[in-house]
Amino acid sequence: MSKLIIAGREFHSRLLIGTGKFASCELMAEAIERSGTEIVTVALRRVDIENENDDILSAIDRNHYLLLPNTSGARDADEAVRLAKLARAATGINWLKLEVTPDPYYLLPDPVETLKAAEILVKDNFVVLPYINADPILAKKLEDAGTATVMPLASPIGSNQGLKTRAALEIIIEQANVPVVVDAGLGLPSHAADAMEIGADAVLVNTAIATAADPPEMAEAFKLAVEAGRMAFESGMPSISKRASASSPLTGFLRET
Amino acid sequence: MEVLKINGKEKQFPDGIPKTLVELLKLLDINQATVVAEVNGKIIERQNFSQTQLRNGQKIELVRFVGGG
Repeated sequence: MSKLIIAGREFHSRLLIGTGKFASCELMAEAIERSGTEIVTVALRRVDIENENDDILSAIDRNHYLLLPNTSGARDADEAVRLAKLARAATGINWLKLEVTPDPYYLLPDPVETLKAAEILVKDNFVVLPYINADPILAKKLEDAGTATVMPLASPIGSNQGLKTRAALEIIIEQANVPVVVDAGLGLPSHAADAMEIGADAVLVNTAIATAADPPEMAEAFKLAVEAGRMAFESGMPSISKRASASSPLTGFLRET
Repeated sequence: MEVLKINGKEKQFPDGIPKTLVELLKLLDINQATVVAEVNGKIIERQNFSQTQLRNGQKIELVRFVGGG
């Protein structure tokens, strides 16, 4: 299996893990480890000054995992840029998952504001990984703006519906010159394998792992599925035909002429 | 009465506001290694928390990382 390269940095794992919705930091840490991931996403939120706050960073070994802060909660480019700068001040790193989701029901990303924010952030030396709808034109525009990847959605965040955007994803993958990370909506390891088989460079999974009855076990299942899907893709996919094509020889049968 | 607007809520300080960001975090019992701050919209780097003087009425944002996808 070849390595994944994003912004000049090599990764062995093609599975990115989101850290939301885990029942505890311990379960999250174990799932991250079992997943084999090298990139984990986190969000920025206000401190609750009335109550004690968990420190998620204490559960993530930053020598092993690249922290990828997201801009979740941003409703427009200005809010996303503000969150990006806070994240960079907090981590000292400039990698960022850009997401601008003004619609609370489907959490679909705003293409106009995402592109606007990406242009600002790339100029400010951020390594930008933008979360987008599966729009091939937008993907090209972001690539042209200098983003490190594109991260088209498979289906709405946390919906576990799998590859609803397959046809558009295939076009994005065909045309992209930056890694394509399929993000959001992958509910099963088979969905992740599906994305990898059509040529995605990586996938990002959160809800399906975090909300499983046994998150570490599910994390490993996704790891294996991502590896299987990628290995299949790199092996050269077989063609599909309508009629049967015998696997066994069609000669030498034990019957009279 | 001196006040600071912290994370969108006005907080009153009957004995006067803390002198610096570090003192505010101590008063609120927040581990400064886990937060990032904005004062009146300007991001304050962590190494500058102790030199950042606070003034009555300022808007303070204290944010931290949480789980997210």
